[in-house]
Amino acid sequence: MSLAIGLVLVIVASLAQVSVLPQFSLFGVQPNIVIVLLVAWIAVRGQREAFLLIPVAGFLLGILDSEPLGLAMLALAPLILLTELRELELVASHLIPAFLLVVIATLVYEGSILLTLALTGDRTGLPGSVLDILVPAAIVNILLLIPVYGAVRLASVDLQRQPSF
Amino acid sequence: MIRVRTRTWFVVVVCASLLFMLGSRFAMFDPLENAALTIASPIETGLGDVTRPVADFFNNLTDVNRLSDDNQSLREENERLRVQVAQLQGADTELTELEQLNSIREAKPNDTFVGANVFATDTNNERRVVAIDRGTQDGVKEGMVVITRQGSLVGSVTRALDDVAWVTLVTDPTAGVSAIIQSSRVQGVVAGSPDGTLTMEFVEDTGDVKEGDLVMTSGIGGRHPPGEVIGRVVEVSNAAQELFQSVHVKPLADLEHLESVLVLDSFLPADPGQP
Repeated sequence: MSLAIGLVLVIVASLAQVSVLPQFSLFGVQPNIVIVLLVAWIAVRGQREAFLLIPVAGFLLGILDSEPLGLAMLALAPLILLTELRELELVASHLIPAFLLVVIATLVYEGSILLTLALTGDRTGLPGSVLDILVPAAIVNILLLIPVYGAVRLASVDLQRQPSF
Repeated sequence: MIRVRTRTWFVVVVCASLLFMLGSRFAMFDPLENAALTIASPIETGLGDVTRPVADFFNNLTDVNRLSDDNQSLREENERLRVQVAQLQGADTELTELEQLNSIREAKPNDTFVGANVFATDTNNERRVVAIDRGTQDGVKEGMVVITRQGSLVGSVTRALDDVAWVTLVTDPTAGVSAIIQSSRVQGVVAGSPDGTLTMEFVEDTGDVKEGDLVMTSGIGGRHPPGEVIGRVVEVSNAAQELFQSVHVKPLADLEHLESVLVLDSFLPADPGQP
């Protein structure tokens, strides 16, 4: 699987995020397939390809959503630092760090947007939003990670000789 | 320990993000965003249409409690719709939509509308914003009020590009609408929240508000025309020593499943800067 496929998947995921995912609401929040895809990519494919996919995904989300262009990219930027967690290879499995990554990435992404909205004067009710949005969003993204991770793993033909779980 | 390469790339991406945000502030990327959204609009509509039955099935599975309530109201609605279907038999969908539009126009003869389809929703969970496939070239301007085809309030246009526009729903945390209880004329402000619910704030504790009361726009402030239906009161609580009642409102429009809306182009909101 080449980086080109990754870019196509990021484009499809970004389009799905604004058109399909809002229909799938669980615990009052919608999953973020772009975050989940990026985390799965980091976990399976490693840091190098993710370096390009993260800003591309942020740019695409910025173009397709109502927020200022750059906000989504800024909110996804900490994922670049989180790629180091995968590179440490503290455990043999790639899936376990992926669970941790998706939780942190979700909290950072949603938290960044909440914070930005609060700083720009919007009435978001920051403390209440942590329980109402951040925690459910992290849980929902964990649930979505399992099939997305499996799909990225299966599609990574060039890596199939390595341990997967 | 984070490696230098990773830190450098992080700083580059953060700087690029900030530059994009700065450029966005000065509308530098509006043509790019307009082009991208115009191209993406039919794809997003197609994706949404294809997955809607799956989403409905999934949502029904995960929302069992609401299902029993919905079942009862759907039985009643089904009966009403059967009568309507019999009456409208033979008419095609386009004609039906025109009839709905006409019925709203008849109720408010001076109002004019721009019909639009909803093709996207904002990507984060904090906002309640949708994209419509009409923009400034169709006469849509920022501040214009958006309603459903049945006539209840959806929100207002907060960003208009050439061919598309973003509508901030009345349930968005940033939204606030001057409102009035239809029966008792008690006034307040209907505000959205991050969880998508509506609360009518600043309702005096002596105000006569009951469950089931219809909440409408009051027109105070000039941001919305008076008399647009917002929703119904579903809960009223009056805590001791509080100056205001806590009034929860359920929007009349199904804001989670919007497909088409009307932009009221005959009403332009008052400029907040003007007296």
